[in-house]
Amino acid sequence: MAIHEQLKKIILDTLPGVECVIGWGPGQDALHGSPVFMRKPEDVDSFMDTPLGAFGAVNNLALFLPELSGKKVGVVVKGCDSRSIVQLVAEKLIKREEVVIIGFPCEGAADLTKIEKALPEGREAGEVTGAAIVGETLKLSLGSEEISLGLADIKADKCTRCKTPGAVISDAFAGIAGKAPEVRDEYADLAALEAMSLDERFKFWEREMSRCIRCYACRNACPLCVCRDHCVAGSRSPHWITQTDSTRDKLMFQIIHATHLAGRCTGCGECQRACPAGIPVLLLKRTFNRGVAEIFGYDAGMDTEATPPLLTFQVEEAHIKEREWQ
Amino acid sequence: MSNKFISHEKLRDWLEDLSARFEVWAPVNTGQDAKGVVVYRPFVRDGALEFARKPVESAKHTVFPRSETLVNFKTGAKDGKPALELHVPEDPPARAVFGLPSCDARGFQIFDPVYNGSGTQGLARDNYYLRRRNATVLIVKACSKVLNTCFCNWVGGGPACTEGADVLATELPDGFILAQVTARGEAALGSALLAPASDSQEKQARKLHEEAGAALCAPPDLSASVSALRGKFDDSAFWEAEASKCLSCGACTYLCPTCYCFNITDEARGVLGARIRSWDACMLPLFTMEASGHNPRTGKIQRLRNRIGHKFSYYPSLHNGRIACCGCGRCIKSCPSSVDIRRIVTDAIGITGTAGLKEQKNG
Amino acid sequence: MPELTENTKELRIVGFLCNWCSYGGADTAGVGRFIQPTDLRIIRLPCSGRVNPLFIIKALMSGADGVLVSGCHPRDCHYAEGNFYARRRLEVFKHLLPVLGIDRRRFEYTWVSASEGPRWQKVVTDFTAQIHALGPAKFFADAPELDFLKAGEGVMQP
Repeated sequence: MAIHEQLKKIILDTLPGVECVIGWGPGQDALHGSPVFMRKPEDVDSFMDTPLGAFGAVNNLALFLPELSGKKVGVVVKGCDSRSIVQLVAEKLIKREEVVIIGFPCEGAADLTKIEKALPEGREAGEVTGAAIVGETLKLSLGSEEISLGLADIKADKCTRCKTPGAVISDAFAGIAGKAPEVRDEYADLAALEAMSLDERFKFWEREMSRCIRCYACRNACPLCVCRDHCVAGSRSPHWITQTDSTRDKLMFQIIHATHLAGRCTGCGECQRACPAGIPVLLLKRTFNRGVAEIFGYDAGMDTEATPPLLTFQVEEAHIKEREWQ
Repeated sequence: MSNKFISHEKLRDWLEDLSARFEVWAPVNTGQDAKGVVVYRPFVRDGALEFARKPVESAKHTVFPRSETLVNFKTGAKDGKPALELHVPEDPPARAVFGLPSCDARGFQIFDPVYNGSGTQGLARDNYYLRRRNATVLIVKACSKVLNTCFCNWVGGGPACTEGADVLATELPDGFILAQVTARGEAALGSALLAPASDSQEKQARKLHEEAGAALCAPPDLSASVSALRGKFDDSAFWEAEASKCLSCGACTYLCPTCYCFNITDEARGVLGARIRSWDACMLPLFTMEASGHNPRTGKIQRLRNRIGHKFSYYPSLHNGRIACCGCGRCIKSCPSSVDIRRIVTDAIGITGTAGLKEQKNG
Repeated sequence: MPELTENTKELRIVGFLCNWCSYGGADTAGVGRFIQPTDLRIIRLPCSGRVNPLFIIKALMSGADGVLVSGCHPRDCHYAEGNFYARRRLEVFKHLLPVLGIDRRRFEYTWVSASEGPRWQKVVTDFTAQIHALGPAKFFADAPELDFLKAGEGVMQP
C-alpha cells in the first residue's frame, strides 16, 4: 500500500479520539499544497491528493499546535516537523499527551523557489498548468510546453542535510522508518556568505532587507515563535523598532527573531519559505544554530528531556574561553 | 492622439528622458540571478528591468508609501513656556510608474473614494495621499500572460484593462506600443524618442490583449457577495474552517494593491521626532488593540473574516457595489499557507468558481 | 594599535556594567584618579545577567562604534548565577556580528570586580584602543534619525 494510503488509514483511525488531524491537501494549483484540518472522515479524501503527493508536503504543521493547546489533535509530520514538536514539548509549550503524532518516511519536500528558478527565463511557477512525479523527475506542463526537473535539484536545502527522515517521536508511523543517514551539516550557505568581506556582507543584508515589507510572515510561520499577539515587534515600550520604512529596523527585527530562537531553532526553514520577498532570513538563525552546536554540542528538537543550552549553565564552561580577551 | 512606439533598444533612453520630469519607477529584478525577486524600484539606467515576471509586490507604495513622515517636530521652550517647532515635509516629486500590471493601477481606484473625500460617508480629503496620487503617471503594461492566481476578470478587470491607467503599454517582440488613456498620460508621451505606432503594431497589440484575456477562466457571478458575507458574519463554523490554516501574518494585506489602512505613530529621539504614517494590516493583532488592552478581534478567525468581508461586502456596500479587490492574486500566490480568497468568497456565496488558467489540469 | 592622544577624535563606546562589581571597579578607578580614555559611556545595570544581547546590537545599529559588557567574575555574582547565564548568551551572540558584516572586535565582554581599579583602567584603555584601531562604524544610510534632523527649519509654535 502506498504511503499516503497508509497515512489515510491511520488518520481515519485517529479521528474519533481527536478534535482534528492536521495534514496536507491541495492548494491553489498543481504545485501548491496547503494545510488541511481534517475533522470528518470525508475530509481525509483530499489528504495528499495532489500531483506532488508527499513531495509537496511542504508546510511544517507543528506551527498550529500551540494555538490548539487544550484540545487533543493529530498531526502528520515529516522528520524535520517532528523536531519542532520535540522542542515545543521540551519547552513545555505544548503537552505531549495532547498531540497524536503521525510520521512517515520522508524522502524530501519541494522548494518552490528552486522550481521557479529551474523554469526557462522569464517563466514563473504560476504558469504551471500541470504536474506529475514520474520516478525521480517532476514533469511540468506550462500550457503546451513540457519540462522535466530532477527531484534532487528541486528539494529544499534542509532535505540535503536531513538527519531525521523519519519522525523523532511519533504515536503512529506509516511504513518503515529508514536508517538515519550519516550527514553532517557543513553550513555551506553560511560559508558562502563568510567568503565575502565584512563590508560586502553588510551590503548583502542591506540589499536583501530592503525588500522586506514587514508582513511578519517569517515570524508567524515559525513554529517556535510562540509569543504570537504579544511580540516585541509591536511594542512601544520597550521600543525596539520604529514604524519607519528603514532597512535598519527591518534587519533589527530579523536579529530579534534569530536571537529569540538561539538554541531553540530546529532549522525547519519555514521563516524563509514564508517570506514573500525571498529574503534568506534562515541564515541568521543558522548562524546561532552553528554557534550553539560548536559551543554546547546541542541540536534543538532531538530530545524532549533536554534543557536548551541558554536556559542552563556550567560553572566551568568547557568551550568558552572568555578570559582570552583581557 | 495617435499611439506611440518605443523600441526595446531605446526604452532606457526614453525612461531617462522621463526622469528629467518625473521620478521614474519600474519593476526590477533585485536578485543575484535571472530569477531574482522582482519589485518596484526607482529607475536607474543600468538597473535590471524586468517585465516578464509579475512583481511580487504591488505598486501601491509608489503612491502610498510604507512609511511617510507627516510632520517633523522639535520640542523646546519659548518665552519660558514649552513650545513645539513643526516642519511639514515638502511636496514629493512627480512620479511615473512604468510597467505596472493593470490590476495594480486599478487598485488605486479603490483607494481614491476613501481618500479624496468623495466617499459615501463624506470623508475628509487626505492631502498626503492626493498630492502623490495627482502627481503620479501610471504607465500600465498589458499582461501578455496570466498566472494561476490571476482573477482580475472576476472583479471587472482584464489583462489589458485601461481603468486606472494613464498610458497603456503593450510589449511587442521589438518594443512597446504606448496608448494614451488620460490627459495626465500626455505628459509622459511628449518625447522626441517616441515614434508613431504603425497599423500592424496596433493590430499585434490588440491580438495580444485578446489572447491574454482568453486564457482566463470564465468569471463566476460575485454580485451576491455583499449579502452572502453579511449573512455569514456569525457563522463561526464557516470562518473557523476557512481560517484554520491562516497564519495571521500581514503578507496578504501588505502585498495587496487595494488595502489602504494605516497607523500613525510618533517616533522621537531626544528633542527631535516625527509623526509617521505607516501601513497597518487587519490581519495583525495590533490593528484592533485598544488602549485598555482589550482586543475585540481576538484571533485569526475574526481577522480573516474582516479582511474578506471588507473587500467583498462592507466596501462595496459603501461604494456603489464596487468590490475592493482587483484580482491580482498576490495574496494567494505569496500566502505561506495557500489561503485562497477566491475560494472563501465562492464558498460564502455557495457557488463554485473555476480558478486559475483554463488549461490547468490539476489542483 | 594607534596611539591615543588628547587630540584623537572620540568614538562612541557603550559600556553595560553590573552594579555590584564592574560599576564599582570603574568607580574605584575614578577615585584612584587612574587616567583612562573618555570614549566609554557607561550604562549601569543590576547584573550582567540583565544584559539582553539585543542591547548590544541595538547600540551598534544606533551609532555606537563599540560595546563593552562587564560583570562580576564567575562565582562572584551578587545574584549567584546571573553572570553564568550572561556568559552563555554573550558567547553565542558573538557569532552573529561577523555574519551581519560587523567586526567581531567591536564587542567584548569581561569581568572586573569592585576592587580592581587598575584592571578596569586596563580594560577601558585596551578596548578603546581596539575600537580606535577599527575606526568609526558606519551602518545604514537610511536610518530614521536622519529624517528627524530635518525638523530644524520649522516655525516655533506656542
